[in-house]
Amino acid sequence: MDNLSAHEITDLFTSNKVSAEEITKSTLERIHKLNPTLNAFLHVFDQRALKQAKRLDEKRAKNEPLGKLAGVPVALKDNMLVNGEIASCASKFLENYTAPYDATVVRLLEEEDAILIGRTNMDEFAMGASGTHSAFGPTKNPWNLDCSPGGSSSGSAAAVSARLCPLALGSDTGGSIRQPSAFTGITGFKPTYGRVSRSGLVAFASSFDQIGPFTRNVKDTALIMEAIGKRCDKDSTSIHSPPNSFDAEMGKSIAGTRFGVPWKFLEKLKGEPRDCFDKSVELIKSLGAEIVNVDLDILKYGIAVYYILTSAEASTNLARFDGIRYGLRSKDAKTLEDIYDYSREEGFGFEVKRRIMLGTFVLSGGFKDAYYEKAAKVRTLIIKNLRLAFEACDLIAMPTSPGSCFPLNGINDPLEEYLQDLYTVAAPIAGLPAISIPNGVSSDKKPFGLQLIGPQMHDAKVLGAAHAIEGALDFPKDPPEGFGGVR
Amino acid sequence: MSDILYDQWEPVIGLEIHVQLNTKTKLFSRSLNQFGAEPNTNIDPINTAQPGVLPVLNEEAVKKAIQFGLAIGAQINRFSTFDRKSYFYPDCPRNFQITQFFHPIIQGGTITCDVEGKTKHFKVDRAHLEDDAGMLKHFSSFAGVDYNRAGVPLIEVVSEPMMHSPKDASAYATALKAIMQYLGVADCNMEEGGLRFDVNISVRPKNDKTLRPKVEIKNMNSFHNMELAIESEIRRQIQAYSLNPNEEFAKAIEPGTYRFDLAQRKTVMMRRKEEAHDYRYFHEPDLVPLMIEEKTIELLKNSLPELPHERYLRYTTELKLAPDAAAILINDKYTSDFFEEALSLVKKPSGLCNWLIVEFYGRLKEMGKTLEQSGIKAVHVGHLVQMIEDQVITGKIGKLVADDMLKTPGKDSKDIVKENPSYQPLDDSSIIEPIVDAVLEQNKQSIIDYKAGRNKALAYLVGQVMKETKGKASPAIVNQLILKKIEES
Repeated sequence: MDNLSAHEITDLFTSNKVSAEEITKSTLERIHKLNPTLNAFLHVFDQRALKQAKRLDEKRAKNEPLGKLAGVPVALKDNMLVNGEIASCASKFLENYTAPYDATVVRLLEEEDAILIGRTNMDEFAMGASGTHSAFGPTKNPWNLDCSPGGSSSGSAAAVSARLCPLALGSDTGGSIRQPSAFTGITGFKPTYGRVSRSGLVAFASSFDQIGPFTRNVKDTALIMEAIGKRCDKDSTSIHSPPNSFDAEMGKSIAGTRFGVPWKFLEKLKGEPRDCFDKSVELIKSLGAEIVNVDLDILKYGIAVYYILTSAEASTNLARFDGIRYGLRSKDAKTLEDIYDYSREEGFGFEVKRRIMLGTFVLSGGFKDAYYEKAAKVRTLIIKNLRLAFEACDLIAMPTSPGSCFPLNGINDPLEEYLQDLYTVAAPIAGLPAISIPNGVSSDKKPFGLQLIGPQMHDAKVLGAAHAIEGALDFPKDPPEGFGGVR
Repeated sequence: MSDILYDQWEPVIGLEIHVQLNTKTKLFSRSLNQFGAEPNTNIDPINTAQPGVLPVLNEEAVKKAIQFGLAIGAQINRFSTFDRKSYFYPDCPRNFQITQFFHPIIQGGTITCDVEGKTKHFKVDRAHLEDDAGMLKHFSSFAGVDYNRAGVPLIEVVSEPMMHSPKDASAYATALKAIMQYLGVADCNMEEGGLRFDVNISVRPKNDKTLRPKVEIKNMNSFHNMELAIESEIRRQIQAYSLNPNEEFAKAIEPGTYRFDLAQRKTVMMRRKEEAHDYRYFHEPDLVPLMIEEKTIELLKNSLPELPHERYLRYTTELKLAPDAAAILINDKYTSDFFEEALSLVKKPSGLCNWLIVEFYGRLKEMGKTLEQSGIKAVHVGHLVQMIEDQVITGKIGKLVADDMLKTPGKDSKDIVKENPSYQPLDDSSIIEPIVDAVLEQNKQSIIDYKAGRNKALAYLVGQVMKETKGKASPAIVNQLILKKIEES
C-alpha cells in the first residue's frame, strides 16, 4: 500500500478493491512506525482521518459521485489552517493556536474526497532551507538520517519520500517545495503565482508565497493541481484556472520543445551536481528537444533581491503575532510594551527574528530607497529578463540546488544557507511555475533534482515536459534504502 | 503679553478629515459595519488578523469614494494602490493599517462653502480609502479591545493648507460633512466617531509667503472643539514667535503632534516631530492595484444628487434667500430636505426659512435637540407658515403654535389651532371695531401723522390694536377698519 501513487490509490478505491478505512489505517500505521525516526509529522489526525474514511466508504456504498482524490491520504505543511486543529507554523508562538477556519486548499481537498492525515514539520514560519529552524526539532532526510531533507517544507518532503503518504502540500516562497523535493528524491511543484489560493496559508512573503504539492510522480502532481488550482474569491491575487489547465499536456512528446539553459549563470556549478545536470541535458536532447543558451546573468542578484523583499513583507506579516489576541503571551509581561517584547522574544526562533529585523531595517526611513526600493526595481528587471529568455525558449532548465542534501548540523552560517536558494528564487521572484524532479543520485546516495521553469500560466507545459523527462530518467523507483533500518 | 500684535499674523490651516463610509460591510471583510453592537460581535478572522487571512476590497466603499470625488470635482484615479502603514497598537489587529499612501483613489477637487456670508473655495489635495482601528476600553485593572470598528471603511480627505481662520476650517468641515450626507455615502455621526478631524496649523507674519513649521492637533470630534483648538493654537504660536523673536522657528513653537485639552482650553503636546513614527510604508502585496473603468465613473457621475452648493445657489437666486440663511439650511441635509418638503405649501420661501432657522432652531437649541430628533413634520411647519401667510393666525399666535408643535411632535399645526379656542383668530368686526375706536381715540397724533404721509403711523396703530387683542385679531380686518375710520374722520 505504502508504495502506491495517488492515482493508483484512488483507482483501487473507486473500483471497490480497497476501502478508505483500510487505506487510512495502513497509512496511519506506517506514520506511527516511522515518524519517531523522521519527525516529519507534528501531529497526526488519527480520529479525524478515520472518521473521514468511514464517511467516504459510506459515500461509495451509496454510489454517490466520488472526488478526484477519493481515498488519498494527504499531509499538510503546518502553515495551512484546518478548522479546529492546531496550526503552529512550527513556532512556539503558535504552539497552542487552534485554527478558526479552513484554508481554501483544505476545503478543496475535502471536496475532492482526499483524507487529511496530519500536519507536517517545517522551518518556523517557512523561513529556512534545512528544516532545522523548527521549534519542534529537525526533520530527518529518509535517504540519509544524518542529513537535512531541505526546507522549509521539510516534513511534507520527508513524509512523501518515506512513503508515509502519497501526497503532501507545501508552500514555496524561495524554493521551499522544490529544494526539499530534490533533497528527498521526489517531485515538487510550485505553480504560477495566484493559481492556488493563499487564503488560510500563514503568510511569510505575500507576493512570493505559493502552495504546491509533493508527489512521487508528475502524474500525481497534475492530479492534485486539478483539485487545488482554482480561483478563490477570498484571495485577491488568485487567478482563474480553466479545467485541465494542469494535466492538458501529460503524455505529450517534448520533441521540438526549446529548453533554455543559462550556461553562464551555471558556471560555478561543478563536480557531481554538474555532471548530473549535464546528463539530464543530454537526455532532454535525446528526446528530440532543442537546447538553447539563455542569458540570465541577472539571477546573480536573485538572492539579494529575494531576501530584501521577502524579509520586508515578512516583517509586517508577522507583526500580528503580538500576544494580544492569540498565540503566546509572556507570563512575565507587565505592560503593553512587555507583552510585545517578551512574547515575541519567547515565541520566535532566531531565524525568524533575524528576518523580522532585516525586513524592518530595509523598510525604515533613510534605508528604504537603498534596499527595498532598489530590490523592487531589480525584481522588475529579473522579470523582464526572464520574459526575454522565454522569447528564445519554451522552458528553462536548471538544477534545483547547487548541491545535494547536507548534514543536519552542516550549515551554521546563515548566508551559506541562503545560497541554497540560488537556483530556486527566480521562479517566485517572477511568479513563474517551476517543478523539481529527481534526476540522479550522488556517489554517497543523495538525490539531485532537475528544475524546469515555465512562463506564467504555462503550468501544463511544465508538467507535461517534466512527465516526459521523468519517464526517460533512470531514477530508482523504490523508496530509499536503509533509512534507520526501519523499512 | 498685551503688546502681542495678533492681527499682524496669518494662520495657515490644513485639515485631514476621517469619514466613516456607511457601507453594509467592512472595507476588507464581510462583517457588518454597524455602530453600537455588543463588543466583538461584528468581527471575523480578517478583522482580528488571524493567521492566513487576506483582505478583499469592498466595492461599495470604492463606489462611495468615487461619488465623493466626483462631487468635489476631483480627479478619480483610474489606477490606485493600497499600502501597509506599520505601527504597533492593540487596536490595530495586523499592527499595520491598509491605506492608500502612494497612489490615492481621489486627487484634487474643491470644496465650496459660505464663510460668514462670503463664498470661498478650498482645495482638496487628495482623498484615500483606509480601514479604521478597533477601540481600546480601559477598566479598573485591565484594558480590553473591541474590534467591531476594526476594518470599518474610512475615507480620509486631506485639504491643501489654505484656510486662515477657525471659521474657515469649520465651514470647510461643515461643507464636507454636508456633501457626504447629500451623497448618502456617510452618516457623519459625530458622537459615534463617524467624522474625525486632524488639524495642521502654522502661523506666519502677514505678507510672508513661506510656511513655518506646523503643529498637528489630532482627533477632534466636534466642530466647536475644533474651532476652540485652532484658536488657542494660533494664539500659542503667535505668542511663541513674538516672545522669542530670535529663536529658531522649530525651537519656538515645538512642532509635533498635539491634542486639545478642553478643560484647560489649550493644546497639549503628545509627541515631538523627531519622535514621529516611521510607518515604513510599502505596497500591500495582498491586494492588486485598484483599476476603475471610465464607464463606472460616468455612470456614477450621471447619478449624482443635487449637492449642497448647488442647492445653496438655487436658494440664493431662485428662492431669494439671504446667503447666511441659505448656508444654514443647506449645511444640514435633514433641515434642507425638511425645508424642501414644506416649500410647496408656502408662498414666501424666506418666511418659511425664517420660521425654520430662527423660530424652530431657537427652540430646539434650548431643548438641546436637533430638528431630526424633535420628530416634528415638515408639512406641519408648512401648514403653520401657510396659516400665517393667509392671515388665519398672527405671527404671535404662530409662535405659541410652534411651542405646542414641539411639545406634541407629529400633531398637525392646523389641528393645534383648531383645537385651541385661544388660538382662534378674532375676525368678528363687531368685536374689533370698539377696540379700534378706543385706540384711535388715544392716538390722535398718529392719525395726523398718517395723513401727512407717514406710513409707519399706520403700522403703529395696527400694532396697538393687536396688543389690545393679545395678537388674536385678524390683521387684515384690523387694517381695513383703521383705514376706514381714518378716512371717515
